[in-house]
Amino acid sequence: MHELSLAHDMTRIIGNVLGRKVHLDRVNITVGPLSGISPESLRFCFTEIAKIEGFGEPELVINQTRAKLICLDCDTEYEAEDFYQGCPDCGSLSRKILSGREFTVDSVELEEGED
Amino acid sequence: MCDEIIEQKIDITTSVMNKNDLFAAENRGFLKGKGIYTLNLISSPGAGKTTVLESMAHYFGSRMAVIEGDIQTRRDAERIEKAGCQAWQIETGGACHLDAHAVKHAMDQMELDSDILELLAIENVGNLICPSGYDLGENLRIGLLSVPEGDDKILKYPSLFSTINVLVINKMDLLPHLDFDVDRAIEECRSLNPDVLVFTVSAKTGEGMEEFCDFVESNYS
Repeated sequence: MHELSLAHDMTRIIGNVLGRKVHLDRVNITVGPLSGISPESLRFCFTEIAKIEGFGEPELVINQTRAKLICLDCDTEYEAEDFYQGCPDCGSLSRKILSGREFTVDSVELEEGED
Repeated sequence: MCDEIIEQKIDITTSVMNKNDLFAAENRGFLKGKGIYTLNLISSPGAGKTTVLESMAHYFGSRMAVIEGDIQTRRDAERIEKAGCQAWQIETGGACHLDAHAVKHAMDQMELDSDILELLAIENVGNLICPSGYDLGENLRIGLLSVPEGDDKILKYPSLFSTINVLVINKMDLLPHLDFDVDRAIEECRSLNPDVLVFTVSAKTGEGMEEFCDFVESNYS
């Protein structure tokens, strides 16, 4: 349940950028499939934390990316949705992770009337 | 009233782990400056992290200090102190992992004497999931798996076992009594993490511990 800590971190980041607490309509984030984050658990935690921290009840829009990997056995570059998807050419799980661990707050949309 | 439509979308583009990663970099620099090599020890509860550290305390003595992470109690720190090392207990009060800021805060309060200390071991909160996302500023990330947990655990917790530098399989003294396939565990860990180094030990009997401690020491000496 480190999603609870992460939800706190998200509101702290948003508060820092906005410089104040305002009601939000939407929060857009990106979560990579190798980040170790459960999107649904994060949504559950963020909904509560956002309300408590004075950001209203924003919709959390999660952009779930695919991981980019390179096979260490046959050099094929491929994309995967989780840790278990091996190389599509040779099946190997030996790979270098190029991306997939990302977790960013991308943007927020203010509720109408907030500026 | 102004009829102009105000842009309501505000760009943030910030990594949520950014703050932790900055503290981790600061910790790494601070410890490097003191010439202290740092381990982050991660396992499920009961895999034997503290027993491994007690065994390491016999090898390293006062050259090692330990930061203990637990939800509650100073029990582990007391065990390490009894084994002859300086120990600092972080009680997270509920948090399921240590973060780099908590480690910095602990280090600020410890006496890290660079004339004596060579090694700082951080025992993370017993958990195979949450600690894996938090860089603490360590030089070596060690995943500890114990024989009673079963040999099929590695692929169940890929976010940890794909990010460790070293896999230590502990409680090898129990191997004759349990159906733990060491080769399978190693093979599955290497499938996620081809560069991982593996040590098989029993912290209780001391089997394999000298080899492991020699390896830790060889990383900085």
